[in-house]
Amino acid sequence: MDKFRPESFLPLTPVAFEILLALADGERHGYSILQEVERRSAGAVSLHAGTLYRALARLLESELIEELNESPDPSSADERRRYYRLTTRGIAVARAEVARLEGQLVAARTRRLLKAVRP
Amino acid sequence: MNARRRSWLVEAGFSLAMLAYPRAFRRRFGGEMKDDFRQSPVGTLRTVRTLGTLSLNGLAERWSAIVRWSFFPNFTPHLYASSGRHFMFWDSFRADLRYAIRQAIQAPLYTALAIVALALGIGANSAIFTVVQGVLLKPLPYQDPGQLVMVWSHNTKEGKPENPISPANFVDLRDESGGFAALQGYYSFVGNTQIVIDGPPEIAVTSVVTPGMFALLGRTAMLGRTLVTGDPAGLVVLSEGYWQRRFGGDPNIVTRQVTLDGQPATVIGVMPPDFVFPYKGMLGPTGFTRNITVDAWTAMELSGPRMTDASGRFVRNVHYLAAVGRLKPGTSVEQARAGLAAIAARLEQAYPDTNAGWTTTVAPLHDQVVGGVRPALIILLAGVAVILLMACVNVANLVLARSVSRQKELAVRAALGASRWRMIQQALTESLLLATAGAVVGLLVVRWGVQGLVALAPANLPRLQEVAPDGTVLLVTLGLALVTGVFVGVMPALFAGRADVRHALQEGGRGAIGSRARHQLRSALVIAEIALAVVLTVGAGLLLRSFTSVMMIDPGFKPDNLLTLQMSIPYRLTTADARRVYYAQLFERLESLPGVTSTGGTTRIPLGSTNVTTSVQVQGQDVPVSALPEVEFRRAMHDYFETMGIPLRRGRGFTASDGAAALPVVIINEAMARRIFGQQDPIGQHIRTGPNPTGPWSTVIGVIGDIRHAGLEAEPAPELYVNYLQNPPVNPFIAIRTTTDPAALADLVRAEAKSFDPTLAIYDIRTMQQIRSESVAERRFLLLLIGAFGVLALLLSAIGVYGVMALVVSERTQEVGVRLALGAAPAEVLGMIVRQAATLAGLGAGAGLVLAALLAPMMASQLFRVPAMDPITFVLVPILLVGVATIAALVPGRRAMRIEPVRAMNPQ
Repeated sequence: MDKFRPESFLPLTPVAFEILLALADGERHGYSILQEVERRSAGAVSLHAGTLYRALARLLESELIEELNESPDPSSADERRRYYRLTTRGIAVARAEVARLEGQLVAARTRRLLKAVRP
Repeated sequence: MNARRRSWLVEAGFSLAMLAYPRAFRRRFGGEMKDDFRQSPVGTLRTVRTLGTLSLNGLAERWSAIVRWSFFPNFTPHLYASSGRHFMFWDSFRADLRYAIRQAIQAPLYTALAIVALALGIGANSAIFTVVQGVLLKPLPYQDPGQLVMVWSHNTKEGKPENPISPANFVDLRDESGGFAALQGYYSFVGNTQIVIDGPPEIAVTSVVTPGMFALLGRTAMLGRTLVTGDPAGLVVLSEGYWQRRFGGDPNIVTRQVTLDGQPATVIGVMPPDFVFPYKGMLGPTGFTRNITVDAWTAMELSGPRMTDASGRFVRNVHYLAAVGRLKPGTSVEQARAGLAAIAARLEQAYPDTNAGWTTTVAPLHDQVVGGVRPALIILLAGVAVILLMACVNVANLVLARSVSRQKELAVRAALGASRWRMIQQALTESLLLATAGAVVGLLVVRWGVQGLVALAPANLPRLQEVAPDGTVLLVTLGLALVTGVFVGVMPALFAGRADVRHALQEGGRGAIGSRARHQLRSALVIAEIALAVVLTVGAGLLLRSFTSVMMIDPGFKPDNLLTLQMSIPYRLTTADARRVYYAQLFERLESLPGVTSTGGTTRIPLGSTNVTTSVQVQGQDVPVSALPEVEFRRAMHDYFETMGIPLRRGRGFTASDGAAALPVVIINEAMARRIFGQQDPIGQHIRTGPNPTGPWSTVIGVIGDIRHAGLEAEPAPELYVNYLQNPPVNPFIAIRTTTDPAALADLVRAEAKSFDPTLAIYDIRTMQQIRSESVAERRFLLLLIGAFGVLALLLSAIGVYGVMALVVSERTQEVGVRLALGAAPAEVLGMIVRQAATLAGLGAGAGLVLAALLAPMMASQLFRVPAMDPITFVLVPILLVGVATIAALVPGRRAMRIEPVRAMNPQ
């Protein structure tokens, strides 16, 4: 296989990035990703199931996320649920995307499009 | 947390939406998505939206899967890699497509023929559909047009359901009607108005409306404002077309001062280009106007001498208004009809003198506008559909003929293990490709065809200017292509699927095996084709026979060598005396022109103008006002009857001595004499117009022949003429009889009028033949199109017969060779071929006659003095078809005659 280059995945689609963000603090199943995205953005971003699973399919194909073989907490969860987590490649891509966005933020600040970070 | 179960309907909806996704995707994520869906919030609207988004996403996923599988199969490992079988269809589709394109390129003539035939068929259908859509289907350019209804008075005594309304009745209907959100009126005719803008007077076509009409229709101005309730007279709203044409699109048009019919008026606004009011169908019932494209709208005032009588009450016995109502939400047309009928019944009780026998008519506005042309357009649509069917049959025949030469190839494919379904799939791919190409070319046909149709269509076809291809037409075209492709593909494909491998491979020269089934199929196709052609040609024949019977009608006057024009005399001629002098001089000037034998004029020209009626009292006949007969009313000017060639049956015509100072005299036509006086001698009888108890009596001095006024097909109505000298009109039609071509005299007449008086407005110069021809424009349009379809159908069926017989000859070469070698005369061979073609044609013609007999009654509304089962048409058309088929068979027949026996028997 070719050498893995996280930059080749950039820029991520907003949906893909939201999914990677939601998975950053641990495994989740699909519906929980939906809820997390909605909670984090305070309802501003509403992810549709159709969009979510199409994005999951692409992320799985490019091995940025993977599926857990078993439920992390069998006692509380519906065992039919499939859980997803970031792969090391996924983490690298997410980091690269964050760096890219950060670069844009810095550029925006120097051009006074955005206020400086408050202390 | 437990997933809730939704109702079975929602669950079914979800499953249906999931079908949009590729199967592999569904297998992988379907369970999760279902759980998620069950947990998502409830709500009908939300569920519908969710399912919608779900299926759209599914289609997107399916599309991207197809693209990825087809073009980047090894690009990334992906979801669908392991389930390739699922994509076998697309894989083979790609191969089929490539193969079909290669085949098409290898046989350019065949491909071009097929595409042209399909393009014509599909394009013609879409073009006609475009017209039907623009005229019949598109909503009227008003807000919520479904709530709008047309209101007429219904004169039950005379059997006129669409009679204009009198001002008093309009006001009562408006004020008492409960089911309407609003009811507004307008003059039931559009008028030629003298307008002075910056030079000599010109003519503008105006519609007079109650000022609230625009609000009722829900339309606003694109510039300035519309009329609103409470606006006084003296305000004018322009149409976009007139504003562009006459004012050069002047952006400062609002507040501009003009003079309308001698009164100052202010322009307050310009309506958007798509605004049309009123449509032709919304004008009064009798007669028609040449030009109904309204240039300007002015406010109707419900006061003044036209509206009220001497005592200031609204007039109840003069009918010249029409009304449009907007139904309250939830009110049906039926309820509105019943409501108005109840008011009309009350008015009958309250005013028996004027209202006895009068009720109301309520019709949906859309029906009112397009109802009249619906049957003709439906016939066109049916006719063009038959053309498409014939094109399909022809192409199917072509495909079939080609499959003969490809029989071996197909057999090889079958031998190599291609399943029957795969072969059909391949054939379908080819025909769909052809049909799609046909549709793309057909779109050009649509573009030009619609332009041609609009140019060809009678100018008074309602909503013609609203006809334009749009997205719906594109969809219909694509739909037609799909249906056509499947239709064309299925028959040969079924045959291809039945190819017998062993025999096809063994077969040497002649197609013994499979050819029997193929022959039957091809013969059936030809029979079907001829049957369809018979149907179309019978239709065209019936229309042609109707058209000629209409044109043979004697209009009651001599339309040859007759030039007509309309004029509007200057406003300075305010007294009757001034106008008399003016007209006398004008007629003298016109009669002095070379080539002019006589001149005259009238207030309503037959076949080319609207109508006006009046009620008539006869001295000595005591009838209540409400029972007074209605007759058509005109003024005759100068030598009108002589100029028009209307014969005088009894008594005398008007003379110069019947002037202003003389006793009032009238001339009536034979229909009026019969209607009013029956067997009595009308000459010398005294009558007076209108329910006018004090007016002077007029003496009947003459009876003229009946003329056709409202149209060639309309029965002559009772007519009453008064002498213009007793009240000279301001807007007359002038008729000029010439010794030579009247059209050549138009410029001379115009120049003479200008030199006589530059402020005299002259317009609508036409020969009487032109007027007569325009009065049957709709009939001619339908005849031309169906006639063209008929010719096309004949051609297509001739090609079909030729194709089949050519194949027969080439397949029977050996047999014919043997016959010739054994001493058969070449003429016998020719006869055999031609007989076979004639048999096919005869069978087709028989089937076509049955079909035509079933369909002909559909055309009854378009027929005139010709029965739907017209024997002449039903006999001549099949003879024509069989004749055409026989001629088409002669070419292959001659080839068969020249077959050389030796060559034929040793093909290799």
